[in-house]
Amino acid sequence: MLLFYIGRRVLWAIPFMFAVSLIAFALISAPPGDYLTTFAATLAQSGDVVDEARLDALRERYGFDQPFIVQYLRWIGGVLQGDFGISFEWQQPVGQLIWERMALSVTLALATLMFTWAVALPIGIYSAVRKYSIGDYFFTTIGFIGLATPNFLFALVLMYVAVVHFGSDVSGLFSSEYQDAPWSLAKVGDLLSHIWIPVIILGTSATASLVRIMRANLLDELYRPYVTTARAKGLSEFRLIMKYPVRIAINPFISTIGWAFPQLISGAVITAFVLSLPTSGPLMLQALLAQDMYLAGAFILLLCCLSIVGMLVSDILLAVIDPRIRFR
Amino acid sequence: MAHLMLSAAVLPMLAIPAVAQTATGQAPGLAQMVEAGELPPVVERVSDEPEVVEPLNAVGDYGGDLRIYLRGSSDHNHILRVVGPQGLVRWDPDYTEIVPNVAESFEVTEGGRVFTFHLRDGMKWSDGEPFTADDIMFNIEDLVMNEDFAPTPPRYMSGGEPMKVEKVDDYTVRFTFKEPYGDFLAELASPLGQHPVLYAKHYCSQFLPSYNDSLDKLIEANDASDWQNLFLQKCGDLEIPARWGNPERPTLDPWVIKEPYVGGTTRVVLERNPYFWQIDTEGKQLPYIDQVVAPVDQDVESLILSVIGGNVDFGLRHIDPPSNRPVLAENREKGDYRFFEAKSTGGTDMSISLNLTHKDPDLRELFNEEDFRVALSLGMDRQEIIDTVMLGEGEPWQQGPFEDHPYYHEQIATQYLEHDPERANELLDGLGLERGEDGIRRMDNGEPVTFQVDVIPTFDPTWVDSLQLIEQQWAELGVDMEINPMERTFFYERTSNSNDHDAAVWRATQSWVPGQIPQMLVPVHHDSRYGIAWRDWYLSGGAEGEEPPETIKTRLELYEKARGLTDPQERIETFHKIADIAAEEFEVIGVSTAVPTYGIVKNDLKNVPDSMPSSWYYPTPSPTLPQTWFWQDE
Repeated sequence: MLLFYIGRRVLWAIPFMFAVSLIAFALISAPPGDYLTTFAATLAQSGDVVDEARLDALRERYGFDQPFIVQYLRWIGGVLQGDFGISFEWQQPVGQLIWERMALSVTLALATLMFTWAVALPIGIYSAVRKYSIGDYFFTTIGFIGLATPNFLFALVLMYVAVVHFGSDVSGLFSSEYQDAPWSLAKVGDLLSHIWIPVIILGTSATASLVRIMRANLLDELYRPYVTTARAKGLSEFRLIMKYPVRIAINPFISTIGWAFPQLISGAVITAFVLSLPTSGPLMLQALLAQDMYLAGAFILLLCCLSIVGMLVSDILLAVIDPRIRFR
Repeated sequence: MAHLMLSAAVLPMLAIPAVAQTATGQAPGLAQMVEAGELPPVVERVSDEPEVVEPLNAVGDYGGDLRIYLRGSSDHNHILRVVGPQGLVRWDPDYTEIVPNVAESFEVTEGGRVFTFHLRDGMKWSDGEPFTADDIMFNIEDLVMNEDFAPTPPRYMSGGEPMKVEKVDDYTVRFTFKEPYGDFLAELASPLGQHPVLYAKHYCSQFLPSYNDSLDKLIEANDASDWQNLFLQKCGDLEIPARWGNPERPTLDPWVIKEPYVGGTTRVVLERNPYFWQIDTEGKQLPYIDQVVAPVDQDVESLILSVIGGNVDFGLRHIDPPSNRPVLAENREKGDYRFFEAKSTGGTDMSISLNLTHKDPDLRELFNEEDFRVALSLGMDRQEIIDTVMLGEGEPWQQGPFEDHPYYHEQIATQYLEHDPERANELLDGLGLERGEDGIRRMDNGEPVTFQVDVIPTFDPTWVDSLQLIEQQWAELGVDMEINPMERTFFYERTSNSNDHDAAVWRATQSWVPGQIPQMLVPVHHDSRYGIAWRDWYLSGGAEGEEPPETIKTRLELYEKARGLTDPQERIETFHKIADIAAEEFEVIGVSTAVPTYGIVKNDLKNVPDSMPSSWYYPTPSPTLPQTWFWQDE
């Protein structure tokens, strides 16, 4: 049953991916001009001048003078053979560029997810069980502030305070001596001493919203008859809450795993941009801004794949955790 | 001052011969390597004829990092500007004279048709391999003239024919042109003229099909799409990020790449070139500073934060818009830096070009009435714009070099600057443009005189502010101007490529010296937005675009003639003839003189001039020789 379900979902994903790749490519090509126009404009903004003859030659070489559908077929044909093309800006293979960034992106995304859960779960349970206590009000206030503040703004304020008042730099993931050093225990330690800042910045609003969701869901469950029955039978309060209502209230957490997958790449692009994190988010944003079509296209395709896979994974997990959910 | 211009090319004379001097000093790190037998002695490394550079203020000490910064994307030219385009020749610090650089000396003969360059005996690439005439021949024959790689840039052609280059001996090369080509030296001094000495033959030739039979394997091993892509990956090109992406590529630069500029990187580091070929007057090998370190920040606001946090040693690019000046000034003490001035070379920061080759026949006819353009200029209250938008800096100006410049042309710079709405209205009345009931004038076809001015707000925030004032000022003349702000790529597409604009704003900071493109005098560039169709005609040799009127054709001929001249005075006179015609036609409306911007430099960083020209063709700051900058008492 389960295997059949997975197989069907995977099969459906294939035409869906094609549709997405076509739309993605169309969207990237939609703005006027091409990579070279943007390149000329970027350089002009900094007071530099581009060699016009070179531009025209490159336009021909890159095939920008070809119709859209030809450019698309050329690209998707390569993708099917595992060749994502060359980034116009960096002259490097797209696959290489993306994979180089992936390890840190995944680390950061997982660390943020763990931080979010580790903080949101206990606080959410506490707020629900001790509804309208001082602690609940305290966390609710913090939670609303966390929800209302955009991450990147929080990052900017933190950076400003750190530079102006403490003379330190909170951006980046490594100290300068470790930036291009080979991996070692010391480098991992250095990463750990830096990563908590972006993790907290990135995690605040997700934490805040999960706290609210957990609290609301748990409140729905806490007054159900089965809870009263279990309590009447003399189950300890901790075991009672953890074993039954929390298990049901946790469903939204599992559903969010699906969203976490695309977040590996596009997670908090703006925040990573502001903090100059060496993750894939800023590279994707740059590729889109620069109209570096193959690089941007590969990113969007990857995002789409990860969303599909993520949704599948969370559906399966949900079914495993909550026996009431059945495959149809 | 006038005689300085290109005087090296005039006589023809040998450039100032270096005082015979041998290298005696080197950085401590290199000295250790020499002792350990890892490097040859400094005397051998700097070549037999090193260039002796007199530092600006003092002979410096070795050591320290120069911290600059890079923006995340397409900011490779910042590295280029600091490291310098190490071409055969370069501009002197005043941007008035061309001096030898990689070449030890040069001669210009046969009326500016033949250029002979003498290289430095025993000079080396950054990996220690000899640099000789063969490298130049490789660059020219296998790359510049290789249509499979890229079309030959027009700067290496004259009279429709590519130049001829011959190797006279191992250290002498001769460039021969069909027609006189006085501007050639300036072309070589510009950042776009480094091709003859860009690639090291012993390294880069392995990526060319004509030198490597097993190139296919190399292409595959590097995941490249073809040999051109592989070549660019490994050896770069003048103006692409990949130029700084390969630490193995040998160069002639003062610093060479250690941590490369590649996609998504967070830091770029360059370290000293142990084989750099310049020494100071005490015989110490340059550069003084060990490393150039450039963290990559994604957005400009974080750059400003780095500057005021004291984490930047030299900064001009991106941070110099006037809006940042107060915050930079306020934090001078805390950030331990001082300001330096980046002087514009001339012209105006804002000019409005009406599209004289407009696709709409009615607007085209209107715009081509010179009285209309004069009326618009007279209808502008430039002083009000300067006082309100430019914080009182600058003075009313049309275009062209400033008064103290040898190329200064009074009429084109100062005509029609006065605010005279009465006269402007008379001119418009004289064109038969009657006012309608709404106060807007009507064209012959009954349509109102309405047009849009395209502008990129993110380029220069003062543009839109100024346009808002101009909009009101022109409304008083009965002319309905609409501001049309747009995204920069769309702007290029609409104005430069498809010629769909009514009018457009751009800067016009040319001083017309050799090497610069005088795009506001002659339509030869995609920034000549008054005559894009004429420019297409010119650049395609008449195949595309639209044949320009006589006045433009005469100017184009004079421009080509001027580019051939070797006598600076004669060149100035020819340019003044062009400017005479351009002034009579009055195609471009300027606002005010280009004002200097200010960069920051750390207080302890010495030999940095307090003022330097600001121009891409110079290019700022490399002719001030960052390799002579040093840290005092560090």
